[in-house]
Amino acid sequence: MTDKALGEDPAELEDVVEFLRGSLPFNELDDENLADAVATLRVSYHRHGERFDVDSPRPGLRVLRSGAVDIRDQDNKLLDRLGEGESFHIGGLNAENGNVVATVIEDALVYRLPDEAYRELRGKHRGFDRYFSGQRSRRLRRAARFQPEPHALLAPVRSVMTRDLLTVPPQASVHQVAVAMAHRRVSSAFVVEDEALRGIITDRDLRTRVLAASLPLDTPVGEVMTPDPEAISADESLFTTTLRMTQRSYHHLPVLEEGRLAGVVTTSDLILARRDDPVYLVQHISRQHSVEGIRELVEGMANLMVHWVNGGMPAQQVSQLLTAISDAVATRLIGLAEEELGPAPVPWCWLSFGSQARSEQLLGADQDNGIVIDDRATDEDLAWFRELATRVCDGLALCGYKYCPGGIMATTDQWCQRLETWKETVRSWTRTPTNDAVMRVSIFFDIRGISGEATLADALQEEMLKQAGKNSIFLAALAASALGNKPPLGIFRRFVVDRDGEHRDSLDIKKRGVLPVTEIARLHALARGVVAVNTEERLNALGKGEFMTMVDSRNLMDALHFVQRVRMQHQCEQVLAGETPDNYINPRKLPRLAREQLRDAFTIIDEAQSAVRQTYRAGMG
Amino acid sequence: MWDLRLRRWRWLRRSGVDERLQTIWAESLPKRQRLLEDVVFLVCDAEMSSLNPEEGEVLSLGWVRVEGGEISLNSARHCLVQNQNSVGQSATVHRLRDCELAAGGSLEDALAALLSAARGGVLVFHHAPLDMAFLNRAAKRCLGGPLLLPAVDTLALEKRLMERREQSIPQGALRLQACRERYGLPAHHAHNALTDALATAELLLAQCAARGPRLRLGDLL
Repeated sequence: MTDKALGEDPAELEDVVEFLRGSLPFNELDDENLADAVATLRVSYHRHGERFDVDSPRPGLRVLRSGAVDIRDQDNKLLDRLGEGESFHIGGLNAENGNVVATVIEDALVYRLPDEAYRELRGKHRGFDRYFSGQRSRRLRRAARFQPEPHALLAPVRSVMTRDLLTVPPQASVHQVAVAMAHRRVSSAFVVEDEALRGIITDRDLRTRVLAASLPLDTPVGEVMTPDPEAISADESLFTTTLRMTQRSYHHLPVLEEGRLAGVVTTSDLILARRDDPVYLVQHISRQHSVEGIRELVEGMANLMVHWVNGGMPAQQVSQLLTAISDAVATRLIGLAEEELGPAPVPWCWLSFGSQARSEQLLGADQDNGIVIDDRATDEDLAWFRELATRVCDGLALCGYKYCPGGIMATTDQWCQRLETWKETVRSWTRTPTNDAVMRVSIFFDIRGISGEATLADALQEEMLKQAGKNSIFLAALAASALGNKPPLGIFRRFVVDRDGEHRDSLDIKKRGVLPVTEIARLHALARGVVAVNTEERLNALGKGEFMTMVDSRNLMDALHFVQRVRMQHQCEQVLAGETPDNYINPRKLPRLAREQLRDAFTIIDEAQSAVRQTYRAGMG
Repeated sequence: MWDLRLRRWRWLRRSGVDERLQTIWAESLPKRQRLLEDVVFLVCDAEMSSLNPEEGEVLSLGWVRVEGGEISLNSARHCLVQNQNSVGQSATVHRLRDCELAAGGSLEDALAALLSAARGGVLVFHHAPLDMAFLNRAAKRCLGGPLLLPAVDTLALEKRLMERREQSIPQGALRLQACRERYGLPAHHAHNALTDALATAELLLAQCAARGPRLRLGDLL
């Protein structure tokens, strides 16, 4: 080997060649061109948070060897999230979409194909070139998909209902009705008398109530219809309609205008329109046959939330949806476990506590669950429930619902018990309201049956209300706890925020803003025997029952909605930035108006706490 | 740097320093306060037949240049060196066999190529003392003097960073792959001197990025 040969030609870097060979569109290149491309590469390392825009120096095609990058448009909307082996050319993207910015969301090792080499390759290789023209349209489609559809779910149901109705009189025979339905190709008919809706008959009714029951063809439809069906006003939002239909498993819902039948809306009307619809998601969760399948579906939840919030959906509805998804996950996991374990030995009910029970979940919620079992269960029967609990809780954890650090889960024996044992536990808490007991009450008394025999959950809740409502010492202890978290009004004078730890300049908006309202509502609800657990429903009931003035109830609700919205928007920004959502907001970073509104909200909460002090702790200091 | 300058001067006063080494020494040394993006690094790795410089010999050299904060793959080089003695058992470590090395060039040529690539720059090694001991020994024999070039040690940098964070340093935590994992760099399979040099160069970039912008050469020495 001569002096010249040594160190004259670039050496072959097999690892890099192999990596590129597996990345689009470098797979199009032959060995020689690939080696040439590798020789021109520049390798650099970029930290989380670094940005590339059209003015960044060193243009070229950037291939991610490791790490991740978000591509966003000028409105900060996510167009694409890239990982290992994926590439972007910021100049090219800008030419198509305008002001596109790439942000490193996970430290990245980047191979840069400098612009000159990139253009040369595109000129030389049709396959290589075609990829980039194709990629552009793909990106544009994605961008369109991420466009917020403002208030899509808030549109009135009127906008999607079918007005072309088949109405029949109650005397019509089932045969006549079936013929008319077949002719009109509809799956339901409305039984109307004197212009008033009397009932509804569907395909399924004809099958189960007529054919399967061997009724004669001349049976009047009035005898087999579902009488007095629930209907919805045409002004109600698609969201409310959808929620009601899924919660009650209706497939057809009559729509009224000024009290008169005006149309019908079916589940398919609502679902088929949108793939990223929560109802679609819930439906698909219920059809999964593995935990892995559920996990994959739930993975997209953070992006869905961003989508909903950007779409203008109110905070309380977003959390209702997130909760509905959690319910569906738990229900499906229970179904999967039952398929393997066989049916339960006695009736039982899966309980959720805390925010899930209140339908106020946000991202990153912990599990808080338990099981109540019929008193007839023998000690041997309990083993079945322990096995079930393990499977469901492990499944929930896999799907991203963290194990409860306090062990409030069905896997803990104490929270997987017969009804009578549960009641005894509740009685012991109210008898001696220690700090520990009061803390437990704040979690357990927000209770909702998710799956199984709802009467068991109801019976347990009834006992809770009975024990709490008559016990003024217990209520006073609960009031003390509700007064513990004061809204941080001080921040508006000197921005006093949590001084410790990594959240030094921020305030925990959940602890200081949301929980006080939740606690006040719970306290009043327990004292007045209000059954509702959702904070908004509780406040509503309290206002109507004159336990609270209507104005106070409304004000607290508004305060809660505003605080939740700030919290949710904060979480959306974190999702977009690739961070883990948390509850720490920096008030300094809020726009002026939002800061003013936040102060109003905190003032209202502070006043409500004063009222609590007077009502429940008068004379107790 | 003044230390290097002084030692170069002393060596030049003797006779017998190779012309190629003299050319490199004639270049001005980079200043400690120079910003990193203005510094050229030559990140190197050597495979040896033993870990003891007294008895082992250099079997291969690999390097890449870092310019303006980017590794330029165009600069990647890999030189096999014709060995004097059999590689013996060390073949299990570096996987270089006598028959492959027989096709290699002379150690002198390999060193000269490395020197010309390093012109005006700073050498970088993962565990510099070992590689430098071998290279200096070889340079004295072939070129009449030690390299006398500034060198950065990514292993020492990592050790300093961990000590500053008051982390304990478990056994093996400073190995190249272990260091890379700490920065989320992809798994790397030690093949040869060049892939190790590239892996070290990527680690260098990650370490610099972790320490923030506007870093100066003096921060690494």
